[in-house]
Amino acid sequence: MSDELKDILSNSNKDIDNQQLMDYLSRQLSGQDIHDLEKMMADDEFVNDAVEGLQQFDNKKDLTAYVQQLNDDLKKQLEKKKARKDKRKLENFPWIHFAVVLLLLLCIIAYVVIKYNYGAKKPQSKPPVTAYVTAQFKTR
Amino acid sequence: MKPDRFNHISDQVLLENYYKDHNNEWLGILLQRYTMLLLGVCMKYLKNEEEAKDGVQQVFLKVIGEVGKYKIEYFKSWVYMVAKNHCLMKLRDKGKITTEINDRIIATPDETDETSTHVEKEMLLTQMASALQQLNSEQQLCVTLFYLEKKSYQEVAEQTGYSLLQVKSHIQNGKRNLKIMLERIKQNER
Repeated sequence: MSDELKDILSNSNKDIDNQQLMDYLSRQLSGQDIHDLEKMMADDEFVNDAVEGLQQFDNKKDLTAYVQQLNDDLKKQLEKKKARKDKRKLENFPWIHFAVVLLLLLCIIAYVVIKYNYGAKKPQSKPPVTAYVTAQFKTR
Repeated sequence: MKPDRFNHISDQVLLENYYKDHNNEWLGILLQRYTMLLLGVCMKYLKNEEEAKDGVQQVFLKVIGEVGKYKIEYFKSWVYMVAKNHCLMKLRDKGKITTEINDRIIATPDETDETSTHVEKEMLLTQMASALQQLNSEQQLCVTLFYLEKKSYQEVAEQTGYSLLQVKSHIQNGKRNLKIMLERIKQNER
């Protein structure tokens, strides 16, 4: 008895699946399963509203097709959004490449210019001291 | 990505994945879990099959556009509020309802007694039987048949002679009244 009493207060955290819903709507669920689903309805306003709404469809068999159609449209919508995002990324991409190449080129040019300038101003090496001393002796 | 492959992943994990990499495919999997329920909700309020389908698409668009703006923890409650508000706004635009719509989007679950500890629940259960006796006769009968004898709505309706709608209403109101009574007992004990 206490277990059943506990059931009144506890909110079921079970997730409902589409097949279960369809079976309930087409009265193909067994006694215990019907009670479980109706308990979910009593606990969860979302499930309750959904079941009440789904019961209003003229042809319950169309429901699966409607859901499939909506899911396909959703996928298309998300793919479109992703494609737009990717396109934006691609549009920005060549500029990044160009900037990197330009920067590298500038670095190479700077290196070459500095190296050649530095090389031209470098003082020539002095003659050895012994050669200078010998030359002094010869003049005397 | 096939949604079935992700059945073992909870809504919260899917949302976290979306917030991490902003990959819309996570959102797609999440939304597809609720397509049928959303279709039902839209149909309940709009009472037209085409408008209901259109409503679900609008809800999808709204969710895609707004999910990034909030830190949503309970997706199911949030998406339900988005759908319900969308339908109520449509009805208001048509002049079918005049009640004020709560535009605030709730990102938290319905208030439940989930926060109460197991021990507290056990204590409350001892008072449940007497609280049940205090319900009016209709609610008491429907709650007892539904929760304690595990009968379906249809069986309760047949046994009591009430309509299905009345049975649902008695069960929901009875449950709410029981909660209120138990809360009152809890407060008196403090």
